[in-house]
Amino acid sequence: MEDNIDVEAGENPFQPYLDALWKELEHQDPIFIIGIIFSLAVVVISFVLFKYFLSSKTVQSAVLLVGLCDSGKTLLFSRLLSGKFKKTQTSITDNSAPYKAKNEKGSSWTLIDVPGHDSLRPQYVEKFKSAARAIVFVVDSAIFQKEVRDVAEFLYFLLTDSAVSRNVPSLIVACNKQDITMAKSAKLIQQQLEKEMNTLRVTRSAALGTQDGSAGSSVHLGKKGKDFEFSQLPMKVEFLECSARGSKGENGQADIGSLEKSLANL
Amino acid sequence: MLDFFTIFSKGGIVLWCFQGTGVTESFTGPVNALIRSVILQERSGNNSYTHDALSLKYKLDNEFELVFVVGFQKILTLTYVDKFIDDVQLHFRDRYKNVLEQKGALTLLNSHFAFEDDFKMLLREAEESSKARGPTSMRSFNASLKSQKTVKSMIETKGGDKGKEQGGKKNKNAKKEAPAAEPVKGEKAKAPTSAQKTVENGNQGLTKEEIIQKKREEFIRKRMGAPVEKPSKSPKPAKEKPKGKEKRVWTLGGSSTKELDYSQSNGNGAHAAGDHGLDAQADPGMQLSSMKGDLLAVDYESSEGDEEEEEEDAVERVVVADTSKKIPKKGAFGGMFGMLKGLVGSKSLSQEDMEPVLDKMRDHLIAKNVAAEIASQLCDSVAKKLEGKVMGTFTTVASTVKGALQDSLVQILQPKRRVDILRDVLEARSQRRPFVITFCGVNGVGKSTNLAKISFWLIENGFTVLIAACDTFRAGAVEQLRTHQRRLNSLHPPQDHGGRPIVQLYEKGYGKDAAGIAMEAIAYARNQAFDVVLVDTAGRMQDNTPLMTALAKLIAVNMPDLVLFVGEALVGNEAVDQLVKFNQALADHSMSDKPRLIDGIVLTKFDTIDDKVGAAISMTYITGQPIVFVGTGQTYNDLRSLNARAVVGALMKA
Repeated sequence: MEDNIDVEAGENPFQPYLDALWKELEHQDPIFIIGIIFSLAVVVISFVLFKYFLSSKTVQSAVLLVGLCDSGKTLLFSRLLSGKFKKTQTSITDNSAPYKAKNEKGSSWTLIDVPGHDSLRPQYVEKFKSAARAIVFVVDSAIFQKEVRDVAEFLYFLLTDSAVSRNVPSLIVACNKQDITMAKSAKLIQQQLEKEMNTLRVTRSAALGTQDGSAGSSVHLGKKGKDFEFSQLPMKVEFLECSARGSKGENGQADIGSLEKSLANL
Repeated sequence: MLDFFTIFSKGGIVLWCFQGTGVTESFTGPVNALIRSVILQERSGNNSYTHDALSLKYKLDNEFELVFVVGFQKILTLTYVDKFIDDVQLHFRDRYKNVLEQKGALTLLNSHFAFEDDFKMLLREAEESSKARGPTSMRSFNASLKSQKTVKSMIETKGGDKGKEQGGKKNKNAKKEAPAAEPVKGEKAKAPTSAQKTVENGNQGLTKEEIIQKKREEFIRKRMGAPVEKPSKSPKPAKEKPKGKEKRVWTLGGSSTKELDYSQSNGNGAHAAGDHGLDAQADPGMQLSSMKGDLLAVDYESSEGDEEEEEEDAVERVVVADTSKKIPKKGAFGGMFGMLKGLVGSKSLSQEDMEPVLDKMRDHLIAKNVAAEIASQLCDSVAKKLEGKVMGTFTTVASTVKGALQDSLVQILQPKRRVDILRDVLEARSQRRPFVITFCGVNGVGKSTNLAKISFWLIENGFTVLIAACDTFRAGAVEQLRTHQRRLNSLHPPQDHGGRPIVQLYEKGYGKDAAGIAMEAIAYARNQAFDVVLVDTAGRMQDNTPLMTALAKLIAVNMPDLVLFVGEALVGNEAVDQLVKFNQALADHSMSDKPRLIDGIVLTKFDTIDDKVGAAISMTYITGQPIVFVGTGQTYNDLRSLNARAVVGALMKA
């Protein structure tokens, strides 16, 4: 009984105000009311659209070209976009441009060429990793034997990164510089990398923590107890061969057919 | 005359290039070397670079993100190159403004820059302008100064040749002197400052006769004894000269030679720093009964030197602080409006805009224990990187500069090569040879302590370690390492590792040659299949040449896999000197043409500094090598790796 009286008492103080407001509104011009409702609707819709656009920027819409220094990323970038051969130097900043994939849908996304030099690599990868829907890892097949540990370390660092393991972008390992006679095949590079990554799993997890206490990422690649294989990774991994320079030298076409096909399948 | 000229974007696409006649080698290599060593290592304050036989000069265009590089033979000294690069840059920008403003990699790829004709024209102009200043014709004898003097005046006599010179000139130009002397006497009462000023400033503009006349007037004035307000240095020594030399009194020297006879007293206080090395070592018996009685006072020489250095540093810092205080006073009012102006609209950065911010940043860095010259070089490099850049709306100059400085600091601290000791040890193990790490550094930085920490880390990961005690000088060095070995073995008993002690010490006592002990230790490790050899050396000051030679010999002979320089985080400007001299010594005394230099840095005593982490920057900037380990305490667990972002964050924090 008391509850009922309380509820009624709660409603009652507001009731007269509501009635007064309703009467006021009724007195006003209907167009005025419609105007208010319309403007409110516009505000709400624009707010929703704004949020949608903001969030869509972080949706993965970029393909990153990463790799060690001098692996041929900038030339590959130039060939993919314009088909021309351009002389290149060591990149200090990134290059980005929209790319139209050669498939029926004609989808276009951004192709970003990330500088490969060791001092610049971490900050640029940090900048672009969350926006990546695919990563093209360019490897210099001719001098791969000497660089195998550096290549593996960079690949390990990419794969264990928290943003990458969350978004799971597909990985294409492009074994570049196949026009040089001493270039290794994609299969051989895959085997060597698997062996290296196996060792790296052990050494990297035993590495020292940093001085402010933050330890490295604790993502474990592949299956525990078994030798590492690229097929164990959650993302799609593909190894292919290409040559940005092309077999005929500077004036000819580049042998990037397989790369373009893979990019079209994304 | 030029070997090549390239224009390329910062993203690496070459827009246009020119190769001189007769030049066959590609220029990609040298330009890449330029980019890696100068631009990426933040040394862009100085805009020229040499690579083998080529000398390279470059200019950054930050508005359109372009780099202009010119290369020519080092032996040629071309004076027109600097101005030429500036002209080419302006010309290129003006001509291709529309294309460049579009700012996309696609436009750069698709457009073709036909710049040859303009370039050739500019080159011709530059070469002609340098030739235009033809050889100056020699003066005839009559026009030269020598004909004005008399023979008598040129004979130097003891009493000061000024008097003779005046005498000579007075005889020659008696008429001129009389009217000149009177106005001078009249002027005597007035402040002679104006005449002084003209003498100081205007000598280049006057003819030779007028200079002589002015000097004559001065001399007469001085002779008259007129009060000279603006101090001129010449009257004083002229007055003192007739007095003759006074006997100099040394306050510390004492009065008799008996005090200089040290044959009775003991050897400790009198020995200079360098000597005691070999003598005391060979003869431990001599040190007995040498410390009896009261302790002797500290060596005056070294302490005075240190005090002077500290004073100089303090004075430098005060001076720097003063100048920085003055500048904001001047620009405060204008700066307020400038800031408002700068907030809205696109504004390109100029040197004057960045100057106050850079000065403040430089002081901030120095306050955070970055070496003074490194801080100024860094600020110059950031200025070069930002000059001409167009800022977006609502970004202040300060925020842009701070951001750029932060990026460059992170870039410096990032290692330029892969740093993974465990992986390299595994590689060496697969090649059946031990991985040799050598620790070097000055006295008392923590070499032995951090060696013990690193061996603890290695044995935790299952590697067998041999410690080579190559510190054969300091008393207790070998015993210290033996204590560490016993402790480590008790923590990881041999039973766990197949009955073999996991840490062993290779020592040969005191007084022996360090390089020989190191070589024997490595051979022993190879025979016994140890995974890692840690070589501990004695601490030595960087300007102690015999000890530096000994260290260089140790490293050159044994060719270790890793040469680590141990430096403490408390060091300030000394870090620069230490590292430069260590590297210099290692480079000079190695026989091969590819000398082994410092490969990495161990930064110790990191827990003693709160956020004054500048020593890390100084050390990595000077050597270009990464910081491999960071020591954060005195127990075995206090070993970390460097986190570049955290260190830069602490450095930039207000």
